[in-house]
Amino acid sequence: MRQKINTKYLISLLVSIFLAFLVGAVILLGTGHSPLTAYGAMVEGAFSSLRHVGDVLEYAMVLAICGLACDLGSRVGIFNVGGEGQLLIGAIVAAQIGVSLNGTTAWLVIPLAALGAIVSAGLYAMIPGVLKVKLKVNEVITTIMLNTVAASLCQFMAKGPWKSANKTMVSATENLNVRYWFDGLIPGSNLSTAIFAAAIIAFLVWYIMQKTTQGFEMKLTGQNPRFARFSGMRIDRKIIVCMVISGAMCGLVGMFRVYGSEHLFKPSVSNDYYFEGLMVAMIARYQPLATILLSLFFAVLKVGAEGLQQVGVPNQIYLIIQTVVIFFMAAQSGFLECLSVRLQKRKAAGADAHSGSAPREKGGEKV
Amino acid sequence: MSEFEKIMSSIFSYGTLQQMLRSATPVALAAIGGSMTEHAGIMNIGMDGMILMGAFFGVLGSFLFHTALAGVGMAIVMGVLVGLFFALLVVRYKSDEFIIGCALNTFAIGLTSYLSRSYFGTSGTKGNPALPMLRLAFLDKIPVLRIFNNQSLFVYLTWIIVIAAWIFVYKTPYGFWLRASGEKPDTLRTAGISPKRMKWIASILCGVLCALAGAHLSLGQLSGTFAENMSNSRGFIAFACVIFAAANPAKAYIAALMFGFFEAIGLRLQGYVSSDLTNTIPYIITIVMMVWVVVRKQAKKRAAKQET
Amino acid sequence: MKQTDPVVRFEHISMQFPGVLANDDISLDIMPGEVFALIGENGAGKSTLMNILYGIHAPTSGQVWIKGRRVEEFDPRNVIEQGVGMVHQHFMLVPSFTVAQNIVMSKEPRKHRIFFDNAAAETAVRKLEEDYGLTVPESVPVEDISVGMQQRVEILKALYRGAEILILDEPTAVLTPQETEELFTVIRGIVREKGMTVIIITHKLDEVMAISDRVGVMRKGKLVGIHETVDVNQQILASLMVGRPVLFDELERTGEAGELALTVEKLRVRDHRGLEAVRDLSLEVRAGEILGIAAIEGNGQSELIEAITGLMPVQSGRVTVLGKDVTGQDPGEIREAGLAHVPEDRLATGLSGAATVAENLLVGKQREKRFNRWGFHQDQTAVRAYAEEVYGRYDIRGAGVEALAGDMSGGNMQKVVIAREFSFDSPVLIISQPTRGVDVGAIEFIHSRIMEKRNQGAAILLSSADLDEVFRLSDRILTIYEGQATGCFRAGEITKEEIGLYMTGSKRLGGKEA
Repeated sequence: MRQKINTKYLISLLVSIFLAFLVGAVILLGTGHSPLTAYGAMVEGAFSSLRHVGDVLEYAMVLAICGLACDLGSRVGIFNVGGEGQLLIGAIVAAQIGVSLNGTTAWLVIPLAALGAIVSAGLYAMIPGVLKVKLKVNEVITTIMLNTVAASLCQFMAKGPWKSANKTMVSATENLNVRYWFDGLIPGSNLSTAIFAAAIIAFLVWYIMQKTTQGFEMKLTGQNPRFARFSGMRIDRKIIVCMVISGAMCGLVGMFRVYGSEHLFKPSVSNDYYFEGLMVAMIARYQPLATILLSLFFAVLKVGAEGLQQVGVPNQIYLIIQTVVIFFMAAQSGFLECLSVRLQKRKAAGADAHSGSAPREKGGEKV
Repeated sequence: MSEFEKIMSSIFSYGTLQQMLRSATPVALAAIGGSMTEHAGIMNIGMDGMILMGAFFGVLGSFLFHTALAGVGMAIVMGVLVGLFFALLVVRYKSDEFIIGCALNTFAIGLTSYLSRSYFGTSGTKGNPALPMLRLAFLDKIPVLRIFNNQSLFVYLTWIIVIAAWIFVYKTPYGFWLRASGEKPDTLRTAGISPKRMKWIASILCGVLCALAGAHLSLGQLSGTFAENMSNSRGFIAFACVIFAAANPAKAYIAALMFGFFEAIGLRLQGYVSSDLTNTIPYIITIVMMVWVVVRKQAKKRAAKQET
Repeated sequence: MKQTDPVVRFEHISMQFPGVLANDDISLDIMPGEVFALIGENGAGKSTLMNILYGIHAPTSGQVWIKGRRVEEFDPRNVIEQGVGMVHQHFMLVPSFTVAQNIVMSKEPRKHRIFFDNAAAETAVRKLEEDYGLTVPESVPVEDISVGMQQRVEILKALYRGAEILILDEPTAVLTPQETEELFTVIRGIVREKGMTVIIITHKLDEVMAISDRVGVMRKGKLVGIHETVDVNQQILASLMVGRPVLFDELERTGEAGELALTVEKLRVRDHRGLEAVRDLSLEVRAGEILGIAAIEGNGQSELIEAITGLMPVQSGRVTVLGKDVTGQDPGEIREAGLAHVPEDRLATGLSGAATVAENLLVGKQREKRFNRWGFHQDQTAVRAYAEEVYGRYDIRGAGVEALAGDMSGGNMQKVVIAREFSFDSPVLIISQPTRGVDVGAIEFIHSRIMEKRNQGAAILLSSADLDEVFRLSDRILTIYEGQATGCFRAGEITKEEIGLYMTGSKRLGGKEA
C-alpha cells in the first residue's frame, strides 16, 4: 500500500484518470449528454471567474489538510478513518467558543477557538489511538463508529444547548460576530485567509514527515514496527501522538470551515469531506506532496462540476469520475500482477509444453 | 400518569415496537450480507453504497416496468453485479478492501444521484409502484401480534432470510467453508477447496442482500420513493451490527432490532431526550463490546498461561 | 530383500523462489511402509520439497511420481486423492471449529445432501479413533485443546481423507517429551499395522534415531546424503547437517578476557505459545571474549537472546549489562546500558526493507547532534556522508546508499545490519546467526569483523546454527538443550563430535554455570 511515487505510478495515475473520464463519457452519452460539452463546462466552471478559482482553492485546502491528516496516521501505521467526526467536533467547539466569547477581541477569540478545535478533536482521536495501541482494537472500526457518534453529538448540541435563536435554522449554532470572520480573499467565494494558516500547516506536515528526525522515526515505525522497537524507539507513544495530531488537523479544518466560510456551525460544514480527502491521500499513496497536488486536481473537478448545471448535466458525475480513478488505482497493482502471471503461464505453456508448470500463486491471502 | 410512566408507556408502546421492526429491517438485511463477507475475512464497509444502489435501481425498475416486483428484480441484478465488482477488485486484484469500500460508497452516491437527476430531476421520485403491505384487520385485535400488522412484506421475508442465512453459515458444509475461508484460508486450501471462491460467493451474497435492503427502503418503507443519499449511513449501522454480532446472522438481526429500538424511542421521546443522543448508544455499545472482547481474550490467555 | 517399487519418487526436482534456489536437483525414492526422516537446518529446503509433494507448490523443474503415477497437476486436492496427507508445521485447523468439524472438512457427511451432519461426523471420527487408537475430544473446539491434541487432530484429518503416505513437518517442535513419545507410538502403530508410509521432517537428531528407517540429509537446497538409520549416529548426522565445505584460516586473537560485561542469572522465558523455552539458564560474558552458543534450532536460544535484549518478557531471573540490572526493560533502555544486537532474522527485525540503505544505517543514531540539527531537522547531507562512509568501510555492495534495503542480496543486507550495530561501539554485542544465507566471501568479512570487535575488548554473545562458525569464533562454547545449559567448554578443549552429545542432551556437565 505504501509504495513509492515513481514513473510507473505517474503513468498509471494518468491512465486511470484518462480511463475515468472515458467511463464518465460513456455515462454521459448513455444519459443523452455530450461529453465534450460537459467536460468543457467543467473547465469553465472551475476557471471562468475568480470566484470559482477561489472556491477551488478553498476546497483544495480542505481536501489537502484532511488528506495530510490521513497521511500522518498512515506514516506510523494507523489508519484514521475518523476524521469526519473529528472535523465536526472541532468545528462545533470552535464555533461555540466564538459565540460565547462574543464581544471579546478577535486576538483572543481566534487563538482560543483554534486551541479548542485542536484539543477537542485531538482528544477525540486519541480514543481509537489508545484502544489500538493498548488493546489492539481495530482502529478502522472504532473510528467509523466514532464518526457517527460525533455527528449525532454535534447534531444534538446544535439542536439543543447551543442552538441558534434563529427559528429557521433547525440545527445550527448562533452566527459568529463578523469581527471574528476570517477575511475573504475573493469576494463571493469561500476562500478566506484560512488558506494561509492551512498552507503553513501543510508545509509543517510535509516538513515533519520528510525532513525531520521525528518524521524519520515515524516512517520506520510504520514500515516495520518490530524493527523500530528493536532499535529502541517508543512506538506506542509515537502512534498515539500521530493519531492525536491527525485528529487536531481535522479539527482545525472544521474551525477553518466555520470561521472562513460558514460563519456558524451546521452539520453541512462537512459533507463527507474527510472521506474525500482520505481517498485523495490513498491515491497519492500517502505522500504529502502528491496529496496536496491531487487535492488541487480533485478540487478543480468538484468545483468545475458545479458548472455542469449550466448545460443541464447533474454535477455528481464528478463523484463518479473521482471514484473510478480510485478503483483503477487500487486495482492497478493486482491487475498488472494477474496480467504478468497470465503472460508467464502462456509463455511457459508455449515454450515447454512437456513439463509445463507455471508458478502457482502462493500464500498472500488477505485476512 | 406521572411523567415517568408516560415515558415508559411511550417507550413500550405498540407504535415504538412497530417502528423498531420497520427501521430494523433494511439494516438487518444488509447486516446479514455483511456477515457473509465478514466470515469470508473481508472487512466490508461498502455496504452503504450497496444499499443505495439497491434503493435506486429498485425504484428505477418499478418506474420503468410499472411493477414493484420488477424493481426488486432489478435491484437484485444490480446487487449481483456490485458484488461481482467488489470481489473482482478485492479478491482477484487484492486491492485494499477498505479503499474499495470507501470508494464504493462515494461512487454509489455519485451514480445514483446522477442517474436520479437524469431520470427524475433534482427532487428524486415518489409514488412509484410500491411493495404491498400486510394488512390484516384481525391482527390488530391480537395484543402482541399487533406490531406485525401494517408492515412491508420484506419484514417477513427478512425472517426467512435470517433463518436461511443462519442455517447456511452454521449448518451446511458451505457455511463451514465460508467461515474457514476467513478464519484460516490455508486450512481450506490444503483441503483442496479454493478460499477465493468462497470469498467471491460471500461478496455476491452481500451485494444481493444489501440490494434487497435498499429495495425495501425505497419500495417498501417509503412506498416507491427515491431521495438522494437515502441510505443515510444505514450501511455503517449494518456494519456495526456485524461487528456487534461477531457476524452471526441471528445475532446481527437482534443487533439491528436494538438499533431500530433506539431509533424508535428517539422518535418517541423527542420531548424528553434528543433522538440524536439515543442514536449514539448502539455505536458506543459496539465499541465497548469490542474492547470487552479483547479484554476477555487477554484474561483468558493469562489464565491459560498460569495453568501451564 | 524383496524389490518393491517406490511409493513416492522425486526426479530432479528444483524449486526457484525469487532470490532463493530452495531445492536444487533433488532425486529421492520413498519406499512403501517405511519411516523416512528428512533432516536439515532451517532453510535447507525440506519443507519446500514436501510442499511440492503435497501439491502446494509446483516445482520449477523435475517430476514427482506417486504410486507409479506422474503428478500432472500440482494441487492439494489432486494429491490428497492419490493418498498423500500432510501435517503442517503450523497446524491447518480452524480454531473455532470442533475437532470433528476440522477432521471432516472438505469431505463432510451430509444430511439431505446439503446439511452438515454433525452427529455422523462425530461417529466417523470415533470410528477412526478406534481404528488407529488415537483418542481426541470430538466435540470440543480446536482452540480449547492442547497443541499435542491438535496434532492428533491433524493426523486423524489426514487419515480421514484416506492418506496412505503421511508427511509430518517438524511434528515434535511444539510437543512436550511425553507428547513426542506418544506421537512416536502412533507412528509406529500406523506403519506396522496399517502399512502406511511416513515422511518426517525434523532437525532433532535423537528423534531421527528413534523413529526412522532411513534418513535423508538436506543442506542448502541439496540432498547431501541418504542413509539407513542403523548405519549412522547423531554425531555423523550433525556433521552432515551443519558442515560447511569451505575451510577458513585461523583468525588472529589478541588480548585477554577482562571485566564481567554481561551476566544472565537463572533466566526463565516463555515462548509465544506460552511454553517454557528457557529454563533456569545462567551465563556470563567478559570483555574481550566471545561466548558461542551451540544448540540445535528450537532449543530456546532465540528466546534467550530476545529476552536479554528486551524483545521478549522475562518470567524470572536477572540480566545485567555492565553491572546495571536491565531485566524487563525495553529495548531502547537496554541499548542505552551498552548493548547492541544483530538479530537472527534480519528482514523481520534487523532492518526495514522499505527504507533506504542510508536510513537503515542511520537508525539508532538519528538523535545524535550531527544528524539532528536544532533537535529536529534531519541533516540529509550529514546522513548521506555518514552512510557513504560506513557503506565503504563495511564493503557493502549494492546500488548505493539510496537504494532500498529490501532489494539487496542477503549478504549485503546482513552487512548493513552488522555495520549499524557495530557502529554503536557498544561494550556488549549479541550476535545471532551472523552469516545465515550469506555467501562465502561475505562470511569471511563478517567473521573478521566480529573478531576485530573481540580484540578491541567487546563482550560478545554469539549464537549460530552453524557449528563450524561457533567453533571458529568462540573463546568458550555453551551448549543448550531444551532451554537448559548442558555444558560449557573452552574452545579447543572439545571436538565437534563430542559437543554433539551435549547439544542433544545425551551428556550434561554437573554445573550449569557458564
